[in-house]
Amino acid sequence: MADKYPINLWVNEERYQKLEKAGLAAMCQEMLAGLKCIQVYCNDAQRDKVLKVFPTAKFDSATTKSIELLPRKVKDKIFDLVVEKQKIDIMDEFLKQF
Amino acid sequence: MAELGHGGKEIKERILGPEEAKKKIKGLTEYPIRSQLANEVIDIAYGYFSPLEGFMGKADVESVCKKMRLKDGKTVWSIPIVFDMSSEEIAKYGVKPKTSLVLTFNGNPMAIFEIEEVYEYDKKSMAKDVFGTDEAKHPGCARTYALKDKLVGGKITLVNKPKINEPYVPYFLPPLQLRKIFKEKGWKRIVAHQTRNVPHTGHEWLMKGAWFQTYGELPMDKPYVGVLVNAIIGEKRAGDYIDEAIILTQDELRKAGYFGDHNHLTSLTFWDMRYAGPREAVFHAALRTNLGLTHHMFGRDHAGVGTYYGPYDAHRMLGQLVEKDLQIIPVYSENWLYCPHCGEITSESLCNHKKEWQKFSGTLIRSIVQDGVKPPRLIFRPEVFDLVLECAEKYGFGSPFVDAEYLKKRIPVFEIPPLK
Repeated sequence: MADKYPINLWVNEERYQKLEKAGLAAMCQEMLAGLKCIQVYCNDAQRDKVLKVFPTAKFDSATTKSIELLPRKVKDKIFDLVVEKQKIDIMDEFLKQF
Repeated sequence: MAELGHGGKEIKERILGPEEAKKKIKGLTEYPIRSQLANEVIDIAYGYFSPLEGFMGKADVESVCKKMRLKDGKTVWSIPIVFDMSSEEIAKYGVKPKTSLVLTFNGNPMAIFEIEEVYEYDKKSMAKDVFGTDEAKHPGCARTYALKDKLVGGKITLVNKPKINEPYVPYFLPPLQLRKIFKEKGWKRIVAHQTRNVPHTGHEWLMKGAWFQTYGELPMDKPYVGVLVNAIIGEKRAGDYIDEAIILTQDELRKAGYFGDHNHLTSLTFWDMRYAGPREAVFHAALRTNLGLTHHMFGRDHAGVGTYYGPYDAHRMLGQLVEKDLQIIPVYSENWLYCPHCGEITSESLCNHKKEWQKFSGTLIRSIVQDGVKPPRLIFRPEVFDLVLECAEKYGFGSPFVDAEYLKKRIPVFEIPPLK
């Protein structure tokens, strides 16, 4: 199976309500002492493109194996797309605009 | 009583009073220096780098590179402290032994540099010795390769004290001042926490663990042990926390009661990190000895970068030096993490619910902060989180992280005022 690299979208109460409406609340995980998170996944090519398009982003290869430090506005857009499409497999569509 | 620093030498500040300074600099050629050198001038003059009295000459640099000792063959020193100039500048400013320059910063006189030596050096060899690699992508190597072609050795004397700007004023505590504070507090042992971060509870527990380790057999009738947070303030990279957020949130742990005046103090040291891993750990040990500390906490991959150093390389190098060559005791620590089974922050070396561990790297925490989602208090103290956001608005142009706007417009940590 190809490697998957998560982008962690941290979920507060407001975001949780949106995910509930989209039928995705059950996909939230408790990551840190109860802090909720929904993960969207990148494959190798998508990960490389994300790191190229958003130079502040970092692949945390040492600890979490996730893509971190994307600008807040970018993560907001990814979250909105998840809610709109009611699924987490949205990275191809998200990256089309770049 | 003399205050002894690293290498058993007395710490002496090399600072002139204003009247003497004005006389001494009269007629000397002025040479403007960049911030890294200004940081190191302060470090030399106030005794942070004791027993160094100036920038290193060739014999010291070669000995440091090859043997990790000063040219006396005894004093351990792991990172060259050098002053670079181009051949053109050396000709233009008439730099030669037995002459002096006035080093200026912000256009104002800062220090007298008594030139003892001008010499050539091999950048690649220096990088390999100090960093264990000569790859240009290593930030320490990159810094070495960016140096100008000649090095100049000689003594430094400050002629004009830096004006520290807010909010850093309470945290600039040079070695002699810091040692006085420790005496007033009655601390018999002080353990260093080296940081460039806003603290999450993993960091908080690194400090608490180090405090327990340091306390050892001392009685508990009075607070005999303190943690000194020593924040490294130097060159910033995009994505780092802004300096204001680092220093203020570290102190917030004390103010908000997670520590107290009786066991916690925050300070800063001006230093541009070399990311030299084990060698930088040894350098930190010398630096904190000069600050008057008795113990120094070293976590995994201390001052490392990427995968250049193993997680315990620094511990091993310190272990070889600790009894004979260092006057500070290393306190080693594993990572701290959240275990949902224990329901608490715990250490990798304590907890055995390995499959349930929730590790929180600095990167992950930065990602949460960046998203503006308030983490649970077990992970990030609410007072710290609120202060990070306050710092973002007050000092960071809306962001708690360094970006181009911050680098351009930030309040400098210090300035050199006109010499009155």
